[in-house]
Amino acid sequence: MSLFSLQKVSCDVPGRRLIDGLDLEIAPGQVTALIGRNGSGKSTLLKLFTGQMAPSEGRIQFGDRPLAEWSRKELARALAYLPQVTPPTEGMELEELVRLGRYPWRGALGRLRPEDHHAVEEALELCGVEPLRHRLVDTLSGGERQRGWIAMMIAQGARTLLLDEPISALDVAHQVEVLGLVRQMCRERGLSAVIVLHDVNMAARFCDHVVALEAGRVVLDAPVSNMMNAAALERIYGVPMTVGTSGHPFALPA
Amino acid sequence: MSRRVILALTCAAVLLAVGLFFWAALRSLPYGDWPAFPYDAAGMDLSQILLAFGTLPRGMVALLVGACLGLAGALMQTVLRNPLADPTTLGVQAGAQLALVAATLLAPGLLLAGRGPVALAGGALAVLLVMGLAARRGFAPVTVTISGMLVGLLCAAISTALTLSRGEYLLSLVIWNGGALTQQDWSGAANLALVFLPALMIALLMARPLLLLSLGGEGARALGLSATPLRLSALGVAVLLSATVAAEVGLVSFLGLAAPAIARRLGARTIPQRLLAAPLAGALLLSVSDSALMLLVSFGGPDLPTGALTGLLGGPLLIALLPRLTATVPPRAEAGDMPVRRSPHPRRVLLILALLLPALSLLTLFAGRGPEGWALLDPALRQTYLPLRATALMAALAAGALLAGSGAVLQRLTANPLAAPEVLGVTGGASLGYAAVIFSLPAPGALALALGSGGGAVVALLALSAYALRADMAPARILLAGLAIGALASAVLAAIMASGDMRAWTVLGWLSGSAARATPEGAVALWALALVLLAGGLAAGRWLEILPLGGAVSSALGVPVGIVRLALILGAGMATGAASVLVGPVSFVGLMAPHIARSLGLTRPRAFLAGAMLTGALLMGLAAFGARSLAYPYDLPLGLFATLIGAPWLFVALMKRTPA
Repeated sequence: MSLFSLQKVSCDVPGRRLIDGLDLEIAPGQVTALIGRNGSGKSTLLKLFTGQMAPSEGRIQFGDRPLAEWSRKELARALAYLPQVTPPTEGMELEELVRLGRYPWRGALGRLRPEDHHAVEEALELCGVEPLRHRLVDTLSGGERQRGWIAMMIAQGARTLLLDEPISALDVAHQVEVLGLVRQMCRERGLSAVIVLHDVNMAARFCDHVVALEAGRVVLDAPVSNMMNAAALERIYGVPMTVGTSGHPFALPA
Repeated sequence: MSRRVILALTCAAVLLAVGLFFWAALRSLPYGDWPAFPYDAAGMDLSQILLAFGTLPRGMVALLVGACLGLAGALMQTVLRNPLADPTTLGVQAGAQLALVAATLLAPGLLLAGRGPVALAGGALAVLLVMGLAARRGFAPVTVTISGMLVGLLCAAISTALTLSRGEYLLSLVIWNGGALTQQDWSGAANLALVFLPALMIALLMARPLLLLSLGGEGARALGLSATPLRLSALGVAVLLSATVAAEVGLVSFLGLAAPAIARRLGARTIPQRLLAAPLAGALLLSVSDSALMLLVSFGGPDLPTGALTGLLGGPLLIALLPRLTATVPPRAEAGDMPVRRSPHPRRVLLILALLLPALSLLTLFAGRGPEGWALLDPALRQTYLPLRATALMAALAAGALLAGSGAVLQRLTANPLAAPEVLGVTGGASLGYAAVIFSLPAPGALALALGSGGGAVVALLALSAYALRADMAPARILLAGLAIGALASAVLAAIMASGDMRAWTVLGWLSGSAARATPEGAVALWALALVLLAGGLAAGRWLEILPLGGAVSSALGVPVGIVRLALILGAGMATGAASVLVGPVSFVGLMAPHIARSLGLTRPRAFLAGAMLTGALLMGLAAFGARSLAYPYDLPLGLFATLIGAPWLFVALMKRTPA
């Protein structure tokens, strides 16, 4: 069964069509990259997946049911979302941030139970931020902070992670760290991830599948290995690219 | 809109303005009796003098004031790239007003040289303060507007306090505040023209550099233009224009907002077009309003100041323009804010605050200033005094806690350290309700007054919620909508004050609040409300922790964002309405107490709320004590006293922590 299944989905804002009659299946258990030029509809598609925006036309199925039939709480237990710019967290320690991930399970009033504490510990450990747990989130470096937010998503217990350009403000070392973490989660724990990315090389290195958008339509929906050739890349970005290989394939503008 | 339509509309507006003015003038004197030019008072009868030195200059002043404010607004909006900037929203007018009030009371000698320089100094100070705050946020439109309106609010509060303390001397100033355009000769028109015409020339010369500036400071610098001197000189011209208006006729609110908006709506796109069209629109708008008011008087209607009328337009206009604001707030990281210090022992801090409360209570119950100076309460007098003092104290404590709690909730809700009930217009609505009861019932009782102000608060709140729901609750916009409601309320109040009715003084007295009026039942009710607010806030602690992270994260975590925000806003509003019945609309305790709680290291939401409420109670208790003792045997107004404690603190806090 598909993770997400879209049928003739369109999304309009006044004066512009952001997503145009999309038919798309996203498979579970793998890392899917959403790529495309600026304004191609990547982030909009991610917002449709999270339910932040509703499609103007068409149907989105998540798991076994239409997305609209999921209650907010059910959705929060199944789907975790990382915004493009993480908000400031004044005076909040990392552990407290990660603990917020348990909100969908305990609501506004419920006490945290042993299994909640266990989930928080496990998430801190998996993401390698255990030593930072009592640091203020706002004092962490970009990469540490991003890993902390991912720990919150893990603590949420969601089986699907949606990340909107999680590496756009990071240096290469931290990019590798964050994307490696996401891929590790999917490999080891069977989670699924959909990541909006700008960097084709990072997508090729860390993702299993790629969905490329152009003006709200799919131009490529294939395993990443099918993306790393000059013809496919030119179709996606509209500029000629050369592809080289040295261990892994890489692409540069021609 | 096509060129022809615009031309036709402009001609129609000019004809309307001219027609209305001459209709008003002809009703005062038939054309045959009009004096011949040049005017010489010696050869005229009274009605001719009234026309030549009253009505005719008044028409000219209306045109010039409108033109000045339109140009000032257009300049400010261009420089700050902010469609909400105008002399009112940037605090210039309130600053000028405060300077004039203060000079009249404290240093009348300064006014010998004319009101212009004093008003200019006050307006310039206010705008410098606002710009100082705004510069730290890269002049983000929302921040500039919020800081400006806060500075304006504060200046207006202090002016009210001064007016009240020396009421009998300032009656003429109160009328001046309302922006009456009445003239006795041509000097006002001459002064305005002498400022307006050069200002227009300078503005047009600056048009091209201003166009470069519209690319933003960095963009302009890259093209070889240094942004700061240009910004300063353009703002300087705008401040000069609005301060001159303030000195000549007083507060004419929001015209600087309306005129450029009309010009834009009619298709003035380039900067020179806007700089020419905005003064024209302002002049016609004010001329039509003023002629209509003159006609109203000539048909036996009330004599309202014109400025109050334009103030009425301002609130709705501000709300209508809000969607044009970009909601983006620059990230706070670059401002160099220090991370907030966290107390390692929040419980200990809370305990100390909680212990201070009974200590302060005992002190204020038993100590005080009597006929023989500071002393403990004479045992013989305890029977009579203690119950009175206890009631007043209890009411003050509860009101402080309510305001502080509502401020704390609003600050968490909007992730904005400037959110406060005083800012949300709730207290403004309450004061309108109170005024309505005073004016509509012959001898209203306490219950009627409480119901009136509570009803006003609820109406303001409903208006705010209706707007907030429609606009998807972007927090910064809620704040601005609240400020707009507050501005509307103060414009109506200004009109009431300017009517010269003696009942206006009752309202003015209430505006600054007094704990001495509290009844035992009222105090108990306030306490019950405060406890409910505390319990509700503690229960909602997890929401208060998640909501500052923004709508996307909150809803991804499964929080029903819309409902929760609405519930918190309603709760905060009710608490404010109840408290403002006692302490009047402007006290800033709701802004101060959460700041103090945060600086004590209480950053976790539950500790923050509890700490803020305790601090609020302490502050208001102190204010009640000071208000009772300081000017013994007179009771100073409670809210006024709290403002005077709070105002300096607020500015320090604003300078240190910049708003997001």
